[in-house]
Amino acid sequence: MSGGLHFNRGRPCRISVSYSMKNNTDNEQDETYLQVRNVTKMFGTFAALKDISLDVNEGEFVCFLGPSGCGKTTLLRAIAGLDIQTHGKVFQGGREISDLPASERDFGIVFQSYALFPNLSVNDNVGYGLVNVGTSKADTHARVVELLSLVGLEDQGDKYPAQLSGGQQQRVALARALAMSPGLLLLDEPLSALDAKVRVHLRHEMKELQQRLGVTTVMVTHDQEEALTMADRIVVMNDGNIEQVGTPEEIYGSPASPFVAEFVGTMNFLKATKGENSQIMLGTHTLTLNDAEKAKLNGSSVLACVRPEDILVRGVDDSTANSFDTKVKNLEFLGSFCRATLVYGKDDTELQADFSINLVRDKGVEEGGNVRIALPANSIHIFSAG
Amino acid sequence: MTDQTLSSASPAIVKPKLSRDDYVMRAFVLVIGLWLVVTLLMPLYAMLSKSVQDKDGLYIGLTNYIEYFSTPALFYSINNSFFIAFLTTAITISLASVFAFILSRSTIPGKGIFKSIALLPLLAPSLLPGISFVYLFGRQGVLKDLMGDYSIYGPIGIVMGEVFYTFPHALMILVAAFSIADARLYEAAEVLRSSRIRTFFTVTLPGIKYGLISAIFVVFTLVITDFGIPKVIGGQYNVLATDIYKQVIGQQNFQMGAVVSVVLLFPAILAFAVDRFVQRKQVAMLTARAVPYEPKPHTLLNRMFFLYCCIIAVMIVGTIGMAGYASFVTFWPYNLELSLNNYDFDVMDGGGWGSFYNSLELAAYTAVIGTSVIFTGAYMVEKAKGFGLIRGIIQFFCMIPMAVPGMVLGLAYIFFFNHPDNPLGFIYGTMPILVIVTITHFYTVSHLTSMTALKQMDPEFETVSASLKVPFFKTFLKVTVPVCLPAILDISIYLFVNAMTTVSAVIFLYSSDTALASIAALNMDDAGDVAPAAAMCMVIVATSATVRVFHALLSRGIAAKTQKWRKR
Ligand SMILES: Nc1ncnc2c1ncn2[C@@H]1O[C@H](COP(=O)(O)OP(=O)(O)OP(=O)(O)O)[C@@H](O)[C@H]1O
Ligand SMILES: [Mg+2]
Repeated sequence: MSGGLHFNRGRPCRISVSYSMKNNTDNEQDETYLQVRNVTKMFGTFAALKDISLDVNEGEFVCFLGPSGCGKTTLLRAIAGLDIQTHGKVFQGGREISDLPASERDFGIVFQSYALFPNLSVNDNVGYGLVNVGTSKADTHARVVELLSLVGLEDQGDKYPAQLSGGQQQRVALARALAMSPGLLLLDEPLSALDAKVRVHLRHEMKELQQRLGVTTVMVTHDQEEALTMADRIVVMNDGNIEQVGTPEEIYGSPASPFVAEFVGTMNFLKATKGENSQIMLGTHTLTLNDAEKAKLNGSSVLACVRPEDILVRGVDDSTANSFDTKVKNLEFLGSFCRATLVYGKDDTELQADFSINLVRDKGVEEGGNVRIALPANSIHIFSAG
Repeated sequence: MTDQTLSSASPAIVKPKLSRDDYVMRAFVLVIGLWLVVTLLMPLYAMLSKSVQDKDGLYIGLTNYIEYFSTPALFYSINNSFFIAFLTTAITISLASVFAFILSRSTIPGKGIFKSIALLPLLAPSLLPGISFVYLFGRQGVLKDLMGDYSIYGPIGIVMGEVFYTFPHALMILVAAFSIADARLYEAAEVLRSSRIRTFFTVTLPGIKYGLISAIFVVFTLVITDFGIPKVIGGQYNVLATDIYKQVIGQQNFQMGAVVSVVLLFPAILAFAVDRFVQRKQVAMLTARAVPYEPKPHTLLNRMFFLYCCIIAVMIVGTIGMAGYASFVTFWPYNLELSLNNYDFDVMDGGGWGSFYNSLELAAYTAVIGTSVIFTGAYMVEKAKGFGLIRGIIQFFCMIPMAVPGMVLGLAYIFFFNHPDNPLGFIYGTMPILVIVTITHFYTVSHLTSMTALKQMDPEFETVSASLKVPFFKTFLKVTVPVCLPAILDISIYLFVNAMTTVSAVIFLYSSDTALASIAALNMDDAGDVAPAAAMCMVIVATSATVRVFHALLSRGIAAKTQKWRKR
């Protein structure tokens, strides 16, 4: 694992644990746990969600990722029945819930504010729903203790929310949301009120807990790192639309649109023209593409996208495919690696590349110097320009 | 996908199903709306229509208004009312701004005591200063020489009384305005070596601008709608509020009473509208990052400030003290021996001690029922989902009582509840109608206090409850009410004290069985029993003060008990 993105590339991380032992083998192919069908949400004349369709499998952890105002919360609230969609349908566990109020749906929810009841102890907060369904005192207590130990707060039950740290409050909210064993766990930016260290720690814990319980989970976030590390699948949203749905590797490795490419991670967008034999011309340099990208070539000018960390220097010589000379305009030290701004071609087109400290030392990369780089065919993504 | 083509052809609008909570909340919203229609709108409508009818109830258009404006004796009161209101507003605001400035921006000792004294007039019925000034400056007054050739009975007495009565109202608004001003501006001014006077005009004044405007309109409204003071000390000087009383009680001319009411309604509504507009702006000024101002000591100024506060405090205590002293004097000014004779209300007209017990009963019912109705109503209107239009209309209804003078409301109740066709007529002349009119009269402030408290609650409490399948009313009782308890107590004490002291809203509605202490005081004063009237006022003051002290202790107890979860 390298850089700030802690996910395992190349290894599928789909979860197969099914939640609460439901038998789901009969029609696994066409039956998903949560189905959103053509959902549109209007606020007056403004469409916050535009014909959204989405499937979430049982036991899956799905993240809604997107910039502020893109409709993530709106979609989550529609799924919860808090602000019901204007058009479209929602199914959960095979049951249509499109028009049901929140109280008749089956979910637990954690808000950014946690919404813990300030005048009730941690125990009473967690047991709030249990008491109501007539669970006996002893059973409630046992369940509360179980839930609190699940989130690592077994000795905090008698405190009030205000006496806990932000991270502890968040875990109480999580325990409360799980108390009734909901079929669906909804999280609206549950970590965003916490400071960076705690956030990274809780990210890990929450993911582990979710895997252990196998509860189908939908989390809203605008933090790509959070989405990439926690989600089984990410739903990238923009302006009320879904841009792409895929595993973290798919989202990061093969973004479906320039928006996704730019929003998740860093990406160079290089203007290129179509050359012969399904090659492209980057100025005077000829680049070869892999077959999948070749198929996307239509029109004479395209955008060739490369991530800074995919740019090669080691072992690159004049004979290497897709290689050309660049000049180092700027070299920025970022701790574990350096970000270089390279320029190439007649008009000094800029290009960002991430070099390891080792490489910089070994190859003697320095500002003003020259370096030959290669853009491996498999790392180039093609989008039509304009 | 076939799905897509299907849906784009005819996107059916999803009609959300309502949960049981939704039904219950909406039912509550409708009930509260209905309550306001019956206790507020229909009476006001009855009054408006009465003003365009003749004695037999026939529609005569604006004839009554034409008569009103062609009778100098009547419309001249408009002049008088405005004159008194303007003058009082100018004096009260000047005195109160300086006092508020000192309380919030200086380091003089005893600020807490000064503030408590300044708020004392809130505990008294508005006729108390009138009575007190009669003893101080009247024909047999202790200080009558100060008056020279002038008489206290008339505009001078009214203005003095109104200043006493409105001072704490203005002070509370202004202290709040000063205390939210941002300290960083002062620090900036200090660093720039701005002179104190310049700082005052460039920083202080703009900072309290909205508070100042708000205070001006509140005082103006209080004065123009007040009835107690001009009644007691106004002599031949007529104002709108006393005109209504004279038309209705003196001449039984209900139509003209309605006309005067409508005339009085105008300035009150205007002042209210401006105040609401300004208040909305004020909220935006208080940014989350404002740093409270820490006053710095300044010796010479402090001495002047201290002196100023002492003078004001002496005047307030003196006014109440005079009434208190006079109430114990056996026979003013001939027998100055102290006795409890004047407290023997049962031998006097006006209702006796029974009226005091009635007042207690009214205050208790108003506090308990009023707080329940208003807080629950505010909760439902705030939290119910959907029903946007109806909730908006109810929010607006809740603001109306503030703009309706008590006398006008009382008169409107006569027209509405005493109408032979009204099935609710049976409550006329009973305790319930007094409770209802008092709740309605003081609805707005209580409603706004509730809303402020409710808005500070996390809006997702109800959502979380719904996801845990807990009905909203359980969360209301287990979370909302306990967390809002300080505000709820504030509302109940506000209603209690106002029910104890109010005169204007109930003066047309009491019967011999339901005479009230404040009205007994008024009637005794009317009958020339000024000392017993003073005594009754003192009983009211003592009661309000006791309840306030009790409230303070209770609040402190609650704060101590709940500080575990309120503070980190
Ligand atoms: N009640 C509402 N009335 C009108 N517009 C709304 C309402 N709620 C949301 N919107 C609009 O809908 C769009 C999507 O809002 P939403 O809250 O879903 O964004 P988001 O993706 O959750 O953003 P953030 O990351 O800032 O929370 C925004 O443009 C917002 O202004
Ligand atoms: Mg959001």
